[in-house]
Amino acid sequence: MGKTTHFGYKQVDVEKKQGLVKEVFDSVAGKYDLMNDVMSMGTHRLWKNYTIASSNVVEGDHVLDIAGGTGDLALKFRKKVGPKGKVILSDINSSMLFEGRKNLLNHGVIDVEFVQANAESLPFDDNAFDCVSIAFGLRNVTHKAEALKQMYRVLKKGGTLLILEFSKVENQTLEKIYDLYSFNVIPKFGEFFANDEDSYQYLAESIRKHPDQETLKNMVLDAGFEFCEYHNLTGGIVALHKAIKA
Amino acid sequence: MFRLTIEKSLNRFINANNIDLNQIENKIISLKVDEIDLTLFFLSLNSRIFVVDNHKNKKADVSILMSKASFLSIFKGATIEELLKSEDIEINGSVNTAQQLASLLSSSSIDIEELISQYTGDIAAHQIGKAFRHLKDSAINNDGSLIGAIKDEITTVLVAPSRSKLFKGRA
Ligand SMILES: C[S@@+](CC[C@H](N)C(=O)[O-])C[C@H]1O[C@@H](n2cnc3c(N)ncnc32)[C@H](O)[C@@H]1O
Repeated sequence: MGKTTHFGYKQVDVEKKQGLVKEVFDSVAGKYDLMNDVMSMGTHRLWKNYTIASSNVVEGDHVLDIAGGTGDLALKFRKKVGPKGKVILSDINSSMLFEGRKNLLNHGVIDVEFVQANAESLPFDDNAFDCVSIAFGLRNVTHKAEALKQMYRVLKKGGTLLILEFSKVENQTLEKIYDLYSFNVIPKFGEFFANDEDSYQYLAESIRKHPDQETLKNMVLDAGFEFCEYHNLTGGIVALHKAIKA
Repeated sequence: MFRLTIEKSLNRFINANNIDLNQIENKIISLKVDEIDLTLFFLSLNSRIFVVDNHKNKKADVSILMSKASFLSIFKGATIEELLKSEDIEINGSVNTAQQLASLLSSSSIDIEELISQYTGDIAAHQIGKAFRHLKDSAINNDGSLIGAIKDEITTVLVAPSRSKLFKGRA
């Protein structure tokens, strides 16, 4: 085996990770929204609302939502930028993009653009966006540092990067309860609601392998961002990193 | 939370009123309130304001150091010029830039007493704010020195609240 990386708790060939992640999201796409609500007990909506409120996005802005999946953030950003603005939802996975398009159409939104792209090589011009977001996507990306550099590149000067991602729980008691829930309950929910225990086992494991708040902040600063800070949400179960290209 | 609340209020005001930030665009303004160990970095970019932590220790174009009372009074409309006269503030860099930030802060309907009391757990901030509002009206009516009157009242509130005009008739 050549260079390896983690896929959940397993070590796999670096080149293989992307394909394995694709299989996970191909498998969960159809039930993704339902499972999000079930697993987080609806809290993911609050985390996303907080992200939007922190974004500083105004009417007329150009926003890129990377790993946008079923389009929760894109939909909210679309409301903020109005008809003069522009929102692009990009994702590596066509099944997730398909669900995203369906979801936005169901909300009567037809002017969000959909682009299939890997976060590690974004097909957009330099300095193109006022805001770039990635929610619960970064931990699935193989080369995170490269993806962060791409995000920096496509942002305008004065643009904001928002990374919403599972993180390190601050309180030990909460951490124990959360571990119990993640490894015992979530995969069972996955089996029950989506007939897919393995994918949800991966989701729980990938959260634990993701860099903690401080590590991610340093990665963001290393990618070129001049300012970065994070806000812990729900005791650090999730953190929002907000960075500025100055 | 503190920074985010200020940032959101500022940008809401800037956006709703189409405020031109040209004078402070690309500037970093640091605002330090020693007593409560608060340092805010205001960054004006892309026609909006960011209130950030300065991890990379970027040099500020304008540095403002002020007392807590002056900081609170800014949100109630005290001008930088007034504060400079009271010697309650030190500015390194352009006073005009500092004034533009002060004007934005005072116009943006931030409930600073609430924020400060959350930040420091200090309920006196509420009292100072109330005292300021009360005094601003009376000093303006009496044609007196606004800052002097505020300082006196703040001292009274802090040292002997029962003697403060603010609480007269309530005891
Ligand atoms: C957990 S979902 C998050 C979806 C959505 N952002 C949300 O918050 O509901 C993760 C998404 O990341 C996408 N993804 C995984 N690896 C990616 C990559 N390298 N580049 C872009 N998207 C990726 C997946 O296809 C999936 O849609």
